[in-house]
Amino acid sequence: MRTAAVAPDAGTEEPQTPPRTSDRLPFWVNQRLGLLVLTIGLALLFGALRPAFFDARLVLFPLLRDISTLTVVALAQMVVLSVGHMNLAVGRMAAFGALFAGFGYDRLGLPLPLGLLLCLAAGAAIGALTGWIIARTGVGSFVVTLAMDFALLGLVSLAYSALTENAAFTSTPAGLDELRAYSLADICVGPVCGSPAIPQIAQFTVLALIALGFLYSCTRIGRELLLTGANPAAAELSGIPTKRRVVTAHALSGLLAALAGFMAAAGTGTFRASIGDDFMLPSFLGAVLGGTLLTGGVVSVVGALLGTSLVAVIRKGLDLLGVGLESLNIYLGCVLLLALSADRVRNVLSYRKVVRST
Amino acid sequence: MIAIRSRSAGAVPALRRFSRSTAMTLLCVVVIGYLALGVASSGSFFEGPSVRTFLQYLATPILIGLAQMVVLCVGQLNLAVGALGGFTACLMGVLMADAGVPAALAVPAGVLSATLIGLLTGVFIVATQINGFIVTLGTMTILLGAQYRLTGTRTVDGYSSTLRDLGRAAPLNLPLVFLVALVTAVLLAAFLYRATAGRRLLAAGGNPLAARLSGISTDRQTVLAHTLSGLLIGLAALTATASLPGVNRSVGGDWLLPSFAAPIIGGVALTGGSVAVLGTVLAAFVMRLIDAARAEFSLDPSWVNFLIGLVMLGTVVGGRLHQGHLERAGKNRRTPTAPTGGGTAPAADSLLAGTGGAQ
Repeated sequence: MRTAAVAPDAGTEEPQTPPRTSDRLPFWVNQRLGLLVLTIGLALLFGALRPAFFDARLVLFPLLRDISTLTVVALAQMVVLSVGHMNLAVGRMAAFGALFAGFGYDRLGLPLPLGLLLCLAAGAAIGALTGWIIARTGVGSFVVTLAMDFALLGLVSLAYSALTENAAFTSTPAGLDELRAYSLADICVGPVCGSPAIPQIAQFTVLALIALGFLYSCTRIGRELLLTGANPAAAELSGIPTKRRVVTAHALSGLLAALAGFMAAAGTGTFRASIGDDFMLPSFLGAVLGGTLLTGGVVSVVGALLGTSLVAVIRKGLDLLGVGLESLNIYLGCVLLLALSADRVRNVLSYRKVVRST
Repeated sequence: MIAIRSRSAGAVPALRRFSRSTAMTLLCVVVIGYLALGVASSGSFFEGPSVRTFLQYLATPILIGLAQMVVLCVGQLNLAVGALGGFTACLMGVLMADAGVPAALAVPAGVLSATLIGLLTGVFIVATQINGFIVTLGTMTILLGAQYRLTGTRTVDGYSSTLRDLGRAAPLNLPLVFLVALVTAVLLAAFLYRATAGRRLLAAGGNPLAARLSGISTDRQTVLAHTLSGLLIGLAALTATASLPGVNRSVGGDWLLPSFAAPIIGGVALTGGSVAVLGTVLAAFVMRLIDAARAEFSLDPSWVNFLIGLVMLGTVVGGRLHQGHLERAGKNRRTPTAPTGGGTAPAADSLLAGTGGAQ
């Protein structure tokens, strides 16, 4: 589901309105289809080489849990990319949100849903503050979120060392352990149980995907966000409150980042300052591989899921094949560059084809 | 912020202009901060050993700040600063300690490979037209893996003692590595402000279209900027290897954020076309001062990041407000026919105005 506000530059982009352009561009230009085929193909290949890859409890369950968390991270990045901005503080906002959740559980004794709400509110607030600074001063989002990253990196560590003894909130409310360990196999309707491979925590990801998909394709705010990203001047002139939309996008990004932080904390069982340390790379990988443009105006909600899945499958597969941790990053970087170059070549080729035929 | 300017200005206006520049503010901050720190530590901060340590660990921040600045000036970003620096440092260490290559050979090999990797990055960006942000994100991942593969979990420390002695040498109480960083900064400034190639670099960053129309290949400038950045990172890795007790896979891990902080606090616009060598060097001083103050009062290391974040935000927001104020003042004074000084203003609100050129 890729949504574009206006036609981007010719040659660098693919069709936006499928009914009109699908007969002009070949179907294999569709990036999402390519990603899906590649992900499934790689999963089958790894499964054929190492049958353990399809072990539901030991491999697929953690794999899907990672994908769930990182997809939300990629969505957090995608939302700001849609207005043509960046959020370099995505990992730190996750840590900030998790700090509040941990504080709520440990000190205030909140139940699970209330802590999650507090976490999301904190994330949205810090995101909105970032967006407000950007909109108010007109400074680039890169600089502001970078500075925010620095500031939160210090602030969160300071808060943990001031509030806790061993720099982590370890007391967990009722239900958190179940959230971590349960899969659909634990939910039964009569005699029919779900797959043990699908973790329960994926419910948040599914919710986020549906909500964002609805936001970008069906609501006025979603279209306004895209138009703000595609052409800020035109958006301003057509009566869209672009500054307010920038704040909206950053607040939403903070909220999603905090959700990802909560999911990561639920996955490990402790609320620590190091949550989200390694979120920045996956956030861009997922969003950009999925087809979201860095320049704004084009997003792909499903693409974020597919891009994240591809990266996670490659990581897990190489891991099972016995490729050491040290070489994993080399292959991942190469895959990223290759995938994007291939995408570029494909776009240029298909563009030439269209130009020749018209 | 020093954009393209005519050099025919007299000494007095130049001085007046300097007194209002970011560099001057930073200089005041450095001097006052240093004095305050000296007084707070009851004078021990002015003594030889403290000064030497202070300057010793200033070399690497200066060089990585400059490495980032060169790429920023053509409107690109380099996320691979830390990874490339760490990789090069580990490469030098492994070459010397494990392969037994003499330092005189291993050091040039390391610097050269860093330059080469920078060149390759630039060529890749130009050839594929993919955004430099994503490409350097990819090279960063690859280099992190390569660095881990080189050293694993051990710390390489059995390398050349000559290099170590050179790293610790301090003629006139000024560490040699700091002098290397300063000389590099001066050479870079001469290149950017005086050489034709340097002016081309700035022109390509300031207005790619105009540069292309006046016969400057923006592609070539992008490649040149990434190559120069690689060279500077190679030098930074050299100073780090020479002054650290050993290299392991954590070297370079904390370079990325400071490399952006130094040019941004120093007054470089992310949209390209402006450089501030002096500002970047002074900003590295400021960050080192914060670190030194943290050590002096034995505070939590997290304070450093927090304060650097606040300083960065303050500088950028303050500079922006100041610019807006200047523009309004200029508009009131004369009729708004002549464009006012804020040449970078229209582009400043969209970060990707510069990097978007590579899309």
